[in-house]
Amino acid sequence: MGGVKFDAMVFRRRATSSDPPAGEASPKSSESADDAFVQEALTYVDSLYGTALRLTRRPADAEDLVQDTYLKAFRSASQFQRGTNLKAWLFTILHNTFRNLLRHDGRNPVDVDSEYVDQAPAYGATEHSPEELLTRATLDADLQAALDALPDAFRQAVWLRDVEELSYAEIAQVLAVPIGTVMSRISRGRRALYERLRAGHLRETGTETVKRSADGKQKADVV
Amino acid sequence: MSKCRELDPLFAPYADGEVAAADRASVESHLDRCPPCRENVAEQRTVRAAVAACRPSLRSSAPNELRARCAAHALSAPPRRSFAGRLADRPWIPLSLAATLVIAVAAAFIIGVNDKVEAIAAQLTLDHIKCFQFAPERLKHIDGATAAHQWAEKQGWTIAVPDSSASAGLELLGVRRCAMSSGRVAHVMYMWHGHPLSMFVVPRAIDGVPDRQEFVEKFGHEAVIWSGKDRTYVLLARARPTELAPVIGYVRQIAR
Repeated sequence: MGGVKFDAMVFRRRATSSDPPAGEASPKSSESADDAFVQEALTYVDSLYGTALRLTRRPADAEDLVQDTYLKAFRSASQFQRGTNLKAWLFTILHNTFRNLLRHDGRNPVDVDSEYVDQAPAYGATEHSPEELLTRATLDADLQAALDALPDAFRQAVWLRDVEELSYAEIAQVLAVPIGTVMSRISRGRRALYERLRAGHLRETGTETVKRSADGKQKADVV
Repeated sequence: MSKCRELDPLFAPYADGEVAAADRASVESHLDRCPPCRENVAEQRTVRAAVAACRPSLRSSAPNELRARCAAHALSAPPRRSFAGRLADRPWIPLSLAATLVIAVAAAFIIGVNDKVEAIAAQLTLDHIKCFQFAPERLKHIDGATAAHQWAEKQGWTIAVPDSSASAGLELLGVRRCAMSSGRVAHVMYMWHGHPLSMFVVPRAIDGVPDRQEFVEKFGHEAVIWSGKDRTYVLLARARPTELAPVIGYVRQIAR
């Protein structure tokens, strides 16, 4: 990204003493709403960047994606419906831009690997409570790893819901899928995360030995 | 079991307390009879809580340069007013440090603008905003001759510093070398009827800057630029050109 080009409108030059007066000073009231729009939009830089990082997995690509998002958002600001969620609108632009990039590269827009998330739990029931799972020291790292391992479609849905706290309807709009699909992906995505977290927890506390069978599937014996 | 599958998509919004009222009854009656589905919902709640607990570490901070570039896109979008303009419209002083950083980095991009007069006005407007944000409390009132003398001793080149003037409504606060300016620029700071006003002196003539003044509007500020002998002057304040006329007249008698 080189220097940013500035539009002449922004750097509108006032009439010099010899020029005729410009006489079109725009009213302040209509401008202040635009300023509020820009101000609010810019508060989501961190959220958009974090999400872009999850999508692209490369900081440089994530930065480009976020910049493109803002460029489009500011240029098409008139299309934003006031009173609706600006954050969700920006996320929609971000994801659309990302999908277009993937399509442009000839890649599959989203990887929907149902098999991964729908694997039957590899571990039997244990007496470990959710509290134990939630209070362990390695939760951050384990969750990070579990999210990274989740297929894109499920990770995106869970991320938008549980990290960015968008509504189900907004996520449907952002991901351009029906709301039923969103619910299903979140439901299955969360359970896949749960299984992974629990597996990590069991390994860590040494209450279980994990064997790999010939076909590569993990089997566990609870001791 | 087919009931489990059928209801499965509803377990996520149910766990979040967001399932539609019409669906809630059927979900709950099923959960009463189905321990595996109850466990499913409990797992969803656990994961939801786990993610909520880890949100700070899962989230990322955008690099400051990215922030600035995004803010600059607001400047480049034709129908909107600039981000920096919005900042400039706020009362003086309470600009946040973060906002200042945005302006500071955005300024680096503005330097790339082709038209010199426009670019100078843009950058100096940002300098003006920044200097007045941090500097006023440190500045002591000073007379023009002393300020000019001190400047020449420290910086090695001379400037004419118009003194405070009741008729022009000016109160001289001091001269500083603006840390943000590219190259050597003297920033002469005034209060003008209680509002910040700056005169910048660039120690050279700049191509394209007319002898008689030119007005440029930047970020809600009016910049007046003229060139003198081996010097370029920029006068800057939040004002309309007509309001500035008496100040320009006064300053130009001294800063030629």
